[in-house]
Parts: sequence; structure tokens; C-alpha cells
Amino acid sequence: MVKITVDGREIEVANDTMLLPALIEAGIHVPHYCWHPKLSIDGSCRMCQVEVEGSPKLVIACNTPVREGMVVRTDSPRVINARRGVMELLLVNHPIDCPICDKAGECLLQDYSYNFGTRKSRTDEPRRKLEKRKDIGPRMILDQERCILCRRCVRFCREITKTNELAVFNMGDRSVLDVLPDAPLANDYSMNTADICPVGALETKDFHHKLRVWFLKKTPSVCPSCSNGCNITIQHYRNQIWRLMPRRNDAVNDTWMCDQGRLQYAFAHDANRLRLPMVRRGNTLEPCGWDAAVKHVSDALRATAKKGGAERIALLASAHFTNEELYLLTQLVKVLGLRHVAVPLVTGSGDAFLIQPEKAANFTGARELGLVAHDGGRDFTAILELARSGQLDALYVCGSDMTKLVEPTLWQAALRAVPTVIVQDLFAEPLGQFAHVLLPSLSWAEKSGTFTNRKRRVQQIQRALEPPQGQPSDGEIFAEILGQLAEGHWTFHPAEIFEQIGKEFPAFAGLSLASLGLLGAELAP
Amino acid sequence: MATRTVTVQRPAAMDAPRGVVRSGVAVLKGMWIASRHFWRNLWGFMRGKPTVFTVQYPEERLPQPPAFRGMPVLVQMDNGKERCVACGLCEWACPTDCITIYPAETADEIERFPQVFDIDMSRCMFCGLCEEACPEEAIVMSHNVEIAAFSRRGTVWHKEDLLVPVRELERTRFRHIRKTYERSTEP
Ligand code: SF4
Ligand code: SF4
Ligand code: SF4
Ligand code: SF4
Ligand code: FES
Repeated sequence: MVKITVDGREIEVANDTMLLPALIEAGIHVPHYCWHPKLSIDGSCRMCQVEVEGSPKLVIACNTPVREGMVVRTDSPRVINARRGVMELLLVNHPIDCPICDKAGECLLQDYSYNFGTRKSRTDEPRRKLEKRKDIGPRMILDQERCILCRRCVRFCREITKTNELAVFNMGDRSVLDVLPDAPLANDYSMNTADICPVGALETKDFHHKLRVWFLKKTPSVCPSCSNGCNITIQHYRNQIWRLMPRRNDAVNDTWMCDQGRLQYAFAHDANRLRLPMVRRGNTLEPCGWDAAVKHVSDALRATAKKGGAERIALLASAHFTNEELYLLTQLVKVLGLRHVAVPLVTGSGDAFLIQPEKAANFTGARELGLVAHDGGRDFTAILELARSGQLDALYVCGSDMTKLVEPTLWQAALRAVPTVIVQDLFAEPLGQFAHVLLPSLSWAEKSGTFTNRKRRVQQIQRALEPPQGQPSDGEIFAEILGQLAEGHWTFHPAEIFEQIGKEFPAFAGLSLASLGLLGAELAP
Repeated sequence: MATRTVTVQRPAAMDAPRGVVRSGVAVLKGMWIASRHFWRNLWGFMRGKPTVFTVQYPEERLPQPPAFRGMPVLVQMDNGKERCVACGLCEWACPTDCITIYPAETADEIERFPQVFDIDMSRCMFCGLCEEACPEEAIVMSHNVEIAAFSRRGTVWHKEDLLVPVRELERTRFRHIRKTYERSTEP
């Protein structure tokens, strides 16, 4: 640690850092554009200039190492004047599209202009005309006029994705950011450039002209699309998700997330979601009340267990459920004495950075809770085979992503052969037509709980969207069913269940939702 | 809390006969004023020069001063389109949350427009904050206050109902707001 004096205040900072991150760490805000905590230093914007005693010129804080006894001023008239100059130059050619710019409201150019700018333009020359709304890739558009040439995006493509699509062409005041005609910005992480762009030059097509950012409410969560568990904020308004954005967690995803995960959210507010439980009468499914549906399920499970034994019941659960919900399923397995339990995992392509081949958020959680490779039980295909050959009387399927694992004819034949099929899912497709009881499920955005990522890090998700009034969460459904089948009082409060898990599973011991906080914690080895 | 005692001087109660005389005089005074107006109006009416102040609304309307705030309307440009770019600032500024906007993109030069622009007039309180917030001079207060409807749904005005041609608003409102908000020119 070294001691430095900033604006008359003495602070201690780590000795191997640059001045800017040290100041930010100490809570002293110095405006900056080109510096980003996860990218190399560029020093191009000159916005972070500060006065350091002993140096004749102002220095840029992002590229000045701290040293013992340094005396820094961040608010002297010289510094303020320099910032004002930088702002003025940046705005000479800026189009000021704020009313139609997606970035407005979270734009650093706006914020700094408001805080440090001159508020008045001294030029009346026409502004530079460049390409607007340029299609630079499948998910991104570029507005060259708005670009302030900070090169954060260029460094991102060079250092993080190593794909080098973006570059600054020409020189001096003719510099312009662009892609080469035959190399669009199409990498799997391209949308992160819109997050790090301090202005509205790079915009995602997905969010383009959708909503002003100040309407968005932000709920911290975790991406459900793969087992990496990237930390995100769900940004929602009018009970609808408008975008997902990465949330910094240096142990998991730094400040990034993949495009595929970012775009997986519309299903959560889809109007076709299943919202009422249904029971089959003859050839059709008819809506029924929640109590009736739960009773139907528990009666069927109890009767089957009594008649043919637990051997003739199977449980298939998706790896998209939270630890708390899966815990209640382990209790159901215990109560009924089930042996055929599987958590089928859908796999796909992965890469060496964030994207993992396991396409569900909580497969590790299911394994930790002992639902995978259940004692003496069968795996997914074996359970389907049991069903198809008439050896099952009841099948409880929670989630439908597993249907992607086998040929449709295979799982369809299996489901057709079981006399009682209970399906709990977000949509009536694809399993509804085979179900005898259909229970609506909640998406990850509508519930709270925890996921365990592939590195055994437990992280919290929180409810962002309100489900329709009266619709129970999956955990509540499991608790209701358990209440019918077993002694005791079963309720579903994620925090309590999480504590319960800690008591029963040593890996979770000592953890609580409060101790997980926003960044999560790793399980004991 | 410190207390302070004030002694109030009340006039002594009037005795009955004096009170009756005084109130009788007051009644007669009132009748005199009412009948004076009646006869003067009748006389003016007979001569064909009415002196009444009563305005025969809705056949007759008084001109409103430019500062008058009726319901907010959307400015329609000469090409028939709205000037609004769906920036959402009025929606944010509105204290009663009565504006609902869904933006969308077009291929026009002005690339963004409100696909939906609704104002719930049953909630609007004619405060004019939307007008002040608008960076495009696209929503302004009009002189219209006739917002009654037969149903709740009818109180919601859609974009098409809200459009008013720009030249109709120049004299009545633009000049006034440019002066009030110290805007030198139109946007
Ligand atoms: S980049 Fe910022 S300053 Fe420029 S138009 Fe967009 S919001 Fe306005
Ligand atoms: S597009 Fe954005 S991030 Fe890239 S150089 Fe321009 S301002 Fe910086
Ligand atoms: S006049 Fe006031 S209440 Fe009415 S729409 Fe405008 S801001 Fe809202
Ligand atoms: S403030 Fe003006 S431009 Fe913006 S949405 Fe409202 S009316 Fe349209
Ligand atoms: S942040 Fe230091 S020069 Fe840009």
C-alpha cells in the first residue's frame, strides 16, 4: 500500500495500480471514457486528466502509476478547464441525437456534459456527416457520427474476443470507426460492445428504439441459458423484460455475457405462456382450479405408489429448476421412495471463454443434491424405455427442454404408453398433448432462489416479473403436493429451504441467502 | 412548543329589534341589485344590445389568452406526420403518468416515431409539464377542454385524435412557450 493525497485528503491505495482505478476504488469520481476495468489502457480520450504536484503538465490518471507521497488534485481550476476543453472538442461534431438515441439516460457524454461541460456551443460550422444506422453485424448497428473514438470496442474485439472486427480507419479529424466490408461484427459476444460504448454509437438491434432506459427497473439475477452462470441484471418495465445486461462478477464473467444468453428472455413474458392448470377429460384438457389440480396429482401419485409400488413411477426434472425447488423434489423422491429419477442435461456447443456446453443453469445443483445418478435408478433414455414398454404407471415431467435430447418419436411413444402423465412446464407445447395433468411453471425471471454454476458457485436469482395473481411458483406446487402426500407442514420460502439444504448437504453448510449476496459463494469442496 | 394566549375582543351580541332591522335592510339591498341587473338586461335585450356577461356556451365561446392551458395535443407537421420522436421525456415528466408511448423505427430521415401515443385525459391535469419537457416542441397545450366521454375507455385519446396541424398552433401557443421557456428558435 502507498499513501497519496487527493484533494487534500490522504488515502491508502494498492501500490501497483494506476491512479484512476485507485481513485475510483476510493470513491473519488474522475470522469473518463476510454478506460475500462477489463480492457488495456488506451489513454486516448484525455478526459481523466488530473493535476499531480511536481509534473508541469496535467497527467492522465488512467496511465499514471501511483507512487508514495503523490499529491493529486482532481478539482483544481486547471483540471476543470481541461475537462471542459475535452468536452467541447468531443461535441464539435457530435450529432446530439439524444431524443432518439438508445443510450440517452446512461450516456457518459450526456452525464459529463451536464456535470463538466460548457452547455453552450461556440461553433456554427456544419457538423461532420458520417454513416448512421449502419448494419455492422447480425446483432449490432453503428452510428459513426456519435462515436467519440475511445476505442473501447476496438480493444474488446482485440483483447477479449480476439476477433478484431472493429477498427478506427483514417487519421486525425477524419478518423472513423468501422468494420471491414467482408468481416461483420458477428462474434458470440458482439453485444457487449454496446454496453461498453460510453455513447450511443454501438447499439444492439434487439433494444434499438424499444424503450427509454430510465423507465427500466433493474433486478439482479443470473443468466439461465448455460452452466456458466453469468451474473446479469434483468431490466424490466410494464411486467416485461426489455433487455438483459451483464453484471460485474470477477469470479464468473467479469463484465461480459454472450449474445445468445442475452437474447434468451422473451419466453418469460410470452402471452402464450401456460397460466392455468389443466386436467384431461377424454380427449381435451380442461382448465381447473389449483387445489383440484394439486389434489389430482397427489392422488394419482399416491394411488400408483400403493398399487404398483414406487417402481412404477418416474420423475424427470429439468436442470433449469433452482436448488430450492430441486431440494423439494428430493423430498418427494424420499417420501414416495422413487427410484427412477433423472435430471436430463441438454448439451450444445461451448467455447473457451464463457459459453458452456451444458445448456441449463443448475445441472451442478441437481448433482450436488443427489438427483443425478440417483441410487440404482435409470437415466433419461432408460426411463423413456421403461415407459414405452409399459413398465410405468405414472410419469412426472418437470420442464420440457429434455425433449431435445432424443428423437420426437421416441419420447412421444414413451409418453403415450404411460397411463398418468403429469407435466409441469412453461408452455403447453410440446408435452401438453400427452399430459393428463398440466401444471403451469414459472420462468426464472418470475421466481427467487439459487443456481449452482459449473464451478460450484451458488448464486441468487430474484423475482423481476410478477406472475399472474394466484399462480404458485414451482416450489409452492411441490410443497403442496408434498403436503398431500407426507406428514408435516410443507411451505416454500426460498431462504428457509436454502438453510435447510445447508443442514442436510455438507457442501452447502454455513451458507445463507444473505451471505451469498449479489456475487454468490463457492460450495465447500 | 411555546404557547401564546390571545384574548379576542368579540362585539357584544345585538339585541333582537336592531338585528331584525339590519338583516331586513341587507335583504332589500340584495333584491335591489338583482332587479337592477334584471331591468338593465331586459332593456338592453329589447334594444338589441345585450349587456349580459353570460356566454351562450357551446354556441358561443370566448377567445383564450395564449397562456391558457387546455388539453395537451400533438403537433402535426405539414407532411401529415407527428413531430414527436417518441423520446419519452413527456411520459417521464408527467406527474399523473397518463401518457403511454411505444416507439418504433421507420426508414424516414426522422427514424423514430411513436407507434402508440395515448393520453388518458381522465388523469391529465393540464399542468403542461409534458410541453415543457419536450425537446422537439411536439406536444403543446391547446385551448380545448372538451374531454368528456361516455366511457372510461373513451377518455383515452390516441395519436390520431391528438394531432393538430402545426399552423393552428403557431399563434396560440408556440410563441408563448418559446418566450416562457426562453427558447430562441424552434427546434
Ligand atoms: S451518444 Fe449520448 S450525447 Fe450522443 S446522441 Fe446519444 S445520448 Fe446524446
Ligand atoms: S463506437 Fe463507442 S466504444 Fe467504439 S470507439 Fe466509438 S465511442 Fe468508443
Ligand atoms: S398536462 Fe400534465 S398531466 Fe397532462 S399529460 Fe401533460 S404532463 Fe401529464
Ligand atoms: S417529449 Fe415530445 S418528442 Fe418526446 S415523446 Fe413526448 S411529445 Fe414526443
Ligand atoms: S480514461 Fe484516461 S485518457 Fe481516457
